[in-house]
Amino acid sequence: MLESDAVPLIGGLPAAITSPPIVLFIYAVLVLMVVSAVTSVMVRNTLWAIGSFASTMALLALLYLAIAPFVVFAVQLLVYTTISAGLLLGLLRRTSGLDWTADSPFNRQWLAGAAVCAALLALIGVVVAATSWPVRVSGGEVGLGDALTTTYVVGVATVVVLLAASALGLGLLLAAPTPAIPRWGGSTTSRRDLPRGGSRARGETR
Amino acid sequence: MSVGLTAVLVVSAILFAAGAFAIIARRSAVVMLIGTQLMFVAGGVAFVAFARFGLGAVHATAGPAVALFAGAIAVGELAVGAAIAVILYRESHNFFLDAERG
Repeated sequence: MLESDAVPLIGGLPAAITSPPIVLFIYAVLVLMVVSAVTSVMVRNTLWAIGSFASTMALLALLYLAIAPFVVFAVQLLVYTTISAGLLLGLLRRTSGLDWTADSPFNRQWLAGAAVCAALLALIGVVVAATSWPVRVSGGEVGLGDALTTTYVVGVATVVVLLAASALGLGLLLAAPTPAIPRWGGSTTSRRDLPRGGSRARGETR
Repeated sequence: MSVGLTAVLVVSAILFAAGAFAIIARRSAVVMLIGTQLMFVAGGVAFVAFARFGLGAVHATAGPAVALFAGAIAVGELAVGAAIAVILYRESHNFFLDAERG
């Protein structure tokens, strides 16, 4: 029985993960996830932002592989990442287009950060290849399937309807013909092609 | 060397802050949508973290279940937001949301 006093709770909480390869894996995933998330909101090119966001979602799935039941990892990777990235790419394709712009989306100082990210990604690959999978590291795996089909059955039904509607919208967005209208490029900060010129006086980037 | 609740919660907070920055400071509808997704993701990560490392372990299935439901809600919201962004683009041929649109 857990008490409200903080000191007894320390001994009663689940143990932290101490296995070195799993710890390295989780820290590398966390760092890369933060980097890709910050990149997705900072970068000026929309296509790069969507790519960074998709990588964030995929890395989140890897994190769930280590600390959550397997079904959460599978749904995150196969459903949420796919539909989210597909919706954003379909939106871009339907509107401004997926043309690769000549402008660099990064400053040169970002190249060093990209090199660090590549090194961390390589570390993840080494750890994944060297670890004997499957490794049981999550504590709540038993019973999630039963809980979803009994306690949370209404929620699961609602989720299925939502995801089906979102997937239908994704399909329609991707299947729609590309509009034959002048494109204004994929950059979020490119203002020179806008029909109205009021924003150039402000001199600020978006 | 170990990883526990603190590390994952810090990352959750950073993701939430990045999402909030995208919504507040950025003016592109697409980046704003990405920001909302990051905020949902941050909440889901926190739920999973507490279910794995914290007091939520008493009911270990609740945290991952909430993360699944939050993710589905996020995807549905993204679909609606993408539809709004398409209409926005048809009107002004850009994704910017500011008073200069006229």
